Amino acid sequence: MPPEIVHTPDSLLRRPRFLFWTMWQDLLAARELAWRLMVRDISAQYRQALLGIAWAFIPPIATAIGFTLAKDANVFTVGETAIPYPAYVMFNMTLWQTFADAATGPVQAVMQAKPMLARVNFPREAIVLAKLGEVGFNFLIKLILIIGLFLYFRVPLSWTVILAPVALIHLILLGTLVGVLLAPIGVLYQDVFKGLNMIMGFWLFLTPVIYPVPTQGVFGALVAWNPVTPLLVTIRELATTGVLTNAVGFWVVSLCTFVGLLLTWIGFRIAMPYVVERVTS
Amino acid sequence: MLLNTQQQSMTADLPESQPVLSVEGVSKKFCRDLKRSLFYGVQDIAADLTGGRRHSDRLRSREFWALQAVSFQLHRGQAVGLVGSNGAGKSTLLRIISGLIKPDTGKVRIRGRLAPLIALGAGFNPILTGRENIFANMSILGLSTRQIKQCFQEVVEFAEIESAIDAPVQTYSSGMAARLGFACAIYTEPEILLIDEVLAVGDARFKAKCYRRLYELRQKGVAFILVNHNSQAILNICDTALYLSGGSLVAQGDVNQVIDRYESDLFLTGTERAENRLTFPAKSPQESTGMDIRALFFRDAQGESTQTLLTGEPLSFCLSCESHNSHNGVTFDIRIVKIGGEDSVGNILTIRGQNDNAFFQVTPGLSELRLNFPYLGLAPGNYSAQVRLRKDSIYTFDMVESFRFTVLADRDVNKCQFYQPRSWSLVTETQPMLES
Repeated sequence: MPPEIVHTPDSLLRRPRFLFWTMWQDLLAARELAWRLMVRDISAQYRQALLGIAWAFIPPIATAIGFTLAKDANVFTVGETAIPYPAYVMFNMTLWQTFADAATGPVQAVMQAKPMLARVNFPREAIVLAKLGEVGFNFLIKLILIIGLFLYFRVPLSWTVILAPVALIHLILLGTLVGVLLAPIGVLYQDVFKGLNMIMGFWLFLTPVIYPVPTQGVFGALVAWNPVTPLLVTIRELATTGVLTNAVGFWVVSLCTFVGLLLTWIGFRIAMPYVVERVTS
Repeated sequence: MLLNTQQQSMTADLPESQPVLSVEGVSKKFCRDLKRSLFYGVQDIAADLTGGRRHSDRLRSREFWALQAVSFQLHRGQAVGLVGSNGAGKSTLLRIISGLIKPDTGKVRIRGRLAPLIALGAGFNPILTGRENIFANMSILGLSTRQIKQCFQEVVEFAEIESAIDAPVQTYSSGMAARLGFACAIYTEPEILLIDEVLAVGDARFKAKCYRRLYELRQKGVAFILVNHNSQAILNICDTALYLSGGSLVAQGDVNQVIDRYESDLFLTGTERAENRLTFPAKSPQESTGMDIRALFFRDAQGESTQTLLTGEPLSFCLSCESHNSHNGVTFDIRIVKIGGEDSVGNILTIRGQNDNAFFQVTPGLSELRLNFPYLGLAPGNYSAQVRLRKDSIYTFDMVESFRFTVLADRDVNKCQFYQPRSWSLVTETQPMLES
């Protein structure tokens, strides 16, 4: 006899052991489904486009060219960067884009999966995992571009580059935290997705992507308090110079991310049935 | 071998002891005001997250009970029909059972794998091929890749799309897509199936195939809940039924009684149902569409009204109607299905007045249309007939969804699907056939 499943109105928080057990079970069950959904989404994404996979390269190249031209024309001035500016911008932009995708992805994915959510009871984690897989896939595609660029500009790499993927995962998790936190409310209110896109634009401005880390003034303080800053800077330093300027900040943000993500996940699980109920009643 | 028999007897005992599904006093409230509904959603999430009490048993402003204190049980191999008018809470109940939404009060206990045939083709992406979509869809329904590979061929065969399996789903006809969706869902090997009006897909032949598959599954011990507007379908498959009205369970039990109750509430207020006879109250001219069915019954060879139908005996099917005006070209269609039994799929007998060119001129007042059978060809059993009173084969005056009658036999019709009228004789051959 399979185990009995009981649906009750009571809060899952009153049964914490059961809650954690089902979270673990669903995470295991979601892996294969997430893989399927990811394959489905990625193949569908490029199948109806003439340029196909080239669309993964075009936006970062366009951005990098734009900023490089602007800088050469002295439209704005940035301080010295450790590596040539086009490579600097392209590398940062790719990291930022990966973070932004991880943040907006879950909201978008859950919104798109609305009809499916309303009809089939599958592990909801799969949608988020599939989106993260897609984020990772897109990053790998862009990585090819970065490698080409680094070779062209003869950017020296540090041996610590092998640690960079770990830091990158922390960055993606931070993005996921934001995404999973907003996803349930995002299904209820369209404002969330619209607002999120706007905030991401502003957030980019506060992150040392097109400029090196500022040290002075209110702006410097804002950038320093931005949780993305230590993660992004650390990844770049691990890959290039190998000298970490803000290791403490990196670990503080990482730990907060881990704890926050677990709490957000619990919140997501609890919220989803209420969300499904409201979107289709 | 001994172990095996013990196990079998255990499962045989199960229906009495443990239901595969039990619904205990389940209620659900909804709000029709969108903004308010969304706000209540946020409120519920906040209350649940802080571990506080939601007071889910009380209605907030502008809420109503979509389901109220519904209780029933489902045993292994049992088929329950769920009937009720639109908005009675049928889909809500299925969604609570499948765990999509939480009940506001009460409990649902499930023992076994549950497959909802609520959404066919959930997660189908039109750009991808049928093959890719089968994998995605069945994963969503909870199968592992290995399990999907195992039943992949059967799914494709059942859906009859072998030739189009590598074409994008957007090139499929709507029937093909629906067949694929149904095939994916039905091959997930569940213990409990929830079927929400999805059997309306495909052509008649595919529908019959679906019903056969459901019958096979039921033989294997799969329990199911079937929602269908067609009461004939429910009578066919289910042995018990639930009748939901305004969110409450107003009747449950034997399928015939529940369907009777549902139909009398639905369109036949004041209907009197006797054995092999159905009478309806008069309609006012405002309600009437020109002509109304007042009674359905049978007459025997002598023209006397009868309630005993015997296989092989002469019989007339009589439709008594009331007309408010004079009408030309009046006729009726009758479609008969057999109820119960394993091969009870599809129509047994369809007779259309227009095909026989049987058009009549009807004057205001009561008239009786008779369909005379020199011999009743139907084998003994229970039948359900759908009757449409029509004009010129296009316009339908009135119809009766399900007129149920029972045919008996006083002769031996064992191993007969129908009665063949016949006579025997002996002829002495003057010129042997062989020589001609």
